[in-house]
Amino acid sequence: MDFFTPLILAVQMLIGFDADLYEIIGLSLQVSLVAVGAALVLGLPLGALLASFQFIGRGPLIVITNTLLGLPPVVVGLLVYLLISRAGPLGFLDLLYSPAAMMLAQFILVLPLSIALSRQVFEGLHQDYNLLFKSLNLSWKTRVTTLLVDGRAALVTIALVCFGRAISEVGAVILVGGNIKHVTRVMTSAIALETARGELAFALALGLVLLFIALVVNIISQQIRQYFTPEDRYG
Amino acid sequence: MAKLCSEAVCMQASALCVQRGAKLLLKEISAAIPARKVTLILGHNGAGKTLLMQTLHGLVTPTSGQVIGPDIAVQKMVFQTPVMLRCTASKHFDFLCPGASQEEKLSWFKRASLVGRMQVPARSLSGGEQQKLAIIGALASQPEVLFLDEPAANLDFEATAFVEEMIRWSAKDGTTIVMVSHNRAQAERLADHILFMDKGRLMEQTSAKQFFCAPNSDAGKTYLNFA
Repeated sequence: MDFFTPLILAVQMLIGFDADLYEIIGLSLQVSLVAVGAALVLGLPLGALLASFQFIGRGPLIVITNTLLGLPPVVVGLLVYLLISRAGPLGFLDLLYSPAAMMLAQFILVLPLSIALSRQVFEGLHQDYNLLFKSLNLSWKTRVTTLLVDGRAALVTIALVCFGRAISEVGAVILVGGNIKHVTRVMTSAIALETARGELAFALALGLVLLFIALVVNIISQQIRQYFTPEDRYG
Repeated sequence: MAKLCSEAVCMQASALCVQRGAKLLLKEISAAIPARKVTLILGHNGAGKTLLMQTLHGLVTPTSGQVIGPDIAVQKMVFQTPVMLRCTASKHFDFLCPGASQEEKLSWFKRASLVGRMQVPARSLSGGEQQKLAIIGALASQPEVLFLDEPAANLDFEATAFVEEMIRWSAKDGTTIVMVSHNRAQAERLADHILFMDKGRLMEQTSAKQFFCAPNSDAGKTYLNFA
């Protein structure tokens, strides 16, 4: 089979709205969007706090967060597996081989990313605003909210990076999701499986979708940035 | 910051020292800031004027010594280069003075001739407009003490006139003004009281009239010869 045959088949499946293909795409987006959303909700304020306050343990916390950026997905998968397997501390929740387990794994994977990147963004911003914040005697909540609002354009890029990391991840989701058809099969795990089975058209179709999603997300984020920034000024 | 009981004195600094590494930037400064007057901090570049003002305001913690005066909540500071948020001028004003009503806000913008610029991004205002916005945002909250760090530096005549008018008006209204300026003519126009600094030391604290007519210190005499 040459390269172009599966490519044509892939396009046909996409245009023909192949039910299996779109089910996998839907689940992948669902899992990654929930995981990234949760990681941003928790990670961005934590990043802002780390950037704007000096406290005991801040230095080690930053080092730990930065170290976790290189966290191997399979290790995360293994840890989550141990946590939610029947014998694990969260075994009673019966999460193993469910989309929720995959969301949890992706959440753990992208949380350090959202904290570390947002801290860097907010640190620069905080240097500009620090004296004003102090002078106005603002509470930590107002400081964090102001940093989040004013750093919004850069946060779009952080969200994009987190989403890219989450949706392209394969090791952790296979371990905790099990790649079960119609239940936990997502694009990356399906690509791995279909390639192993020799179903290159299906695998390639999914690969094309992944690329297409990356393209769409980039276009959207660029539009959002442009909306925010005729010099980042409106609010 | 502890409260001061005296009617005539708004803030009192006692033996203030600020050290950075091995360098002593403020050396044993004891000064009284008269209430409801305009106090100008004068001195050459690097004399420690801005640092003294920031220490009085509570932005810098002194290495030793103390400042007694009103709580930071009733103090406001306008920086030499105003910090503008990424929002409209109107929203920036709300940030600086969250308690102001729409009518009050409009009247302050009218006063600063900025009504037509309310919905413009704060960061795209000119330098003079940004300084005006920072000043009306500070004054609208009716502070007891207003600190101004070279508020008219790099401003045109019109903006400088507005800044000076606002300073006179707020001093008349009972606000204590502490200001840093390099402009001798402006200092003579505005100041009631002078703190003159040289190399981190407070060389003179006296009435403006006394300082500009007959400074006591050699450093003061030299400064006025150059200023």
